[in-house]
Amino acid sequence: MSPYNLHPRFKTQYDANNQEFSISGVIRPQAIDELGPSLALLRDAIGRVRGVLYVNVRRLAQMNNAAFHAFSRIILDACRARPDLKFVVITSSVVGWTSRKFGRLSGIEPNITVEEYDSEFYPGQGFLEEGGFVPILRTQTKMTWRHERAILPRHGMRPGVVMADICCGIGDFAVLVQKEFQPSRIVALDHSISSLDYARRVMREFDIRGIEYTYGDASEMLLDEAQFDLVTCRHSLQIFNRPELILKELYRICKPGGRVYITNEKNSHCLGEPRAESIRWTYNEVAKLFAHFEMDVELGPKSRRYLIEAGFDDIRVETFTVTNLDGDPQDFADVIVAWADVYAGEMATKRGDGPEFVARFRQGFQDHIFAALHPKGYAGWPIWVASGRRPQ
Amino acid sequence: MGSVLHDPAGEPTFEPMIQIDMEIKTFVSAWKHCDYVSTYIARMISQNRSDSVRHSNLFSSAFNELLEVAFRTRHADGELACRVSRHGATDRIELTFPCMPEERQFYQEAASQVAGFEARERYLNSVSGDLAPSREVVLLELAVDYDATLRVEEADGDAITLVMDLPLEGLQH
Repeated sequence: MSPYNLHPRFKTQYDANNQEFSISGVIRPQAIDELGPSLALLRDAIGRVRGVLYVNVRRLAQMNNAAFHAFSRIILDACRARPDLKFVVITSSVVGWTSRKFGRLSGIEPNITVEEYDSEFYPGQGFLEEGGFVPILRTQTKMTWRHERAILPRHGMRPGVVMADICCGIGDFAVLVQKEFQPSRIVALDHSISSLDYARRVMREFDIRGIEYTYGDASEMLLDEAQFDLVTCRHSLQIFNRPELILKELYRICKPGGRVYITNEKNSHCLGEPRAESIRWTYNEVAKLFAHFEMDVELGPKSRRYLIEAGFDDIRVETFTVTNLDGDPQDFADVIVAWADVYAGEMATKRGDGPEFVARFRQGFQDHIFAALHPKGYAGWPIWVASGRRPQ
Repeated sequence: MGSVLHDPAGEPTFEPMIQIDMEIKTFVSAWKHCDYVSTYIARMISQNRSDSVRHSNLFSSAFNELLEVAFRTRHADGELACRVSRHGATDRIELTFPCMPEERQFYQEAASQVAGFEARERYLNSVSGDLAPSREVVLLELAVDYDATLRVEEADGDAITLVMDLPLEGLQH
């Protein structure tokens, strides 16, 4: 157990630009006097706004009834005094009690609405988060694992570590780590309920123990700070529009002296022979397509900068390339087929790409598959691995 | 999972998981003990739930309210015992603490109101009212927001036991 924190464990803020009052942390006062400045801030915010006041409780981990009543009282009074004013309470689907508790307020005053925040925060991520991508994710992990199992010990992996795998997806990496390195505990977190359901089913079917799958938002986790020796986050910073927020959280939950391990791609560097030009053109376009949806699949080589700016030291960076020569070339080809389906399918359609572009775009994937399966061909998918130590 | 065991009275058997005892004087010496105990026990018993972090957050939230209720006891001597046990998807908290005779009656009445069908309406009325939440309202909220069931049992001496069943595994996201 960490020692009890005597410092204030909650924060209230008012952002005038967004007309947003936010409450975060753990609020369990004995007496309402302890909330005096925060309640005054809310009253002041109500006095300043016109139209709508957003009340953001997404990062509110705990609030006792005394505090809930004190804040609610002010909001309910304001509804009666100012019928022109509307309140929108933003809760998180991750913190189970908030939507229920704050949801009661809308039953009392129609000017209060409660919205559960969800994955819309991450534009475009839905392409990859839900749906039929599971088999291909498994194949991808199988291909990268051949390399990562040798790389991980250089980045802090060892038997007995307490580990978190953030953005764990379907949990296959956590399972492989559990079998290979026997950490004492793995907490695996993801924001996709369907992926977690899959991961839990696999765990049950294969009688795997020692992995705790948890639903959560990587940028605002309920996990306590400084509790993991190793925090992994693979292929994920690149699909968030604000990777620095995730890194801040990875830093927070990592123990001082522990390491954060990230992997990312630089998609425009995917390569193949023969038909190199067509392949290069298509993967350059992949990078632009993701950029359109605020995702940076060119992030790999930027990992060092991100880790430095997040406050890590002893930064280690290396690269490896998954190729058609690792195991069965058909696995490589299957992954490209899946990429083509999503990138040249749903994503291109959503961006509004015309048939001519899509045809050329698809051709590059076809050529990459051709290179992978060609008896004399070579096809590659480069990955950047980086880790940093949280200073003591 | 597997078969369900029942005791002779027909109630399912709850398997004990953890218990913390302390002098009531020690407990009421600092408000933060409610937070500390609820957070600690929540973490300990949530490890093998399907979503340990979410379960721990919900359990701590509900259990802290119950501890805050016990914190306000007017009886200055005796022991506080927090016992948690489990049957399937339901966790049971048994909180034994000393209380005055008039408080005993209050808790018995409060528990019967929590079980009533109008619990939700009573709770909403209290939220829209001016008064700070009473112990009764806190217990109502546990029923309304966490689907908790509550009963009061007699304990030795001047003590009573609040028994709260929390089906948190079944609460939807």
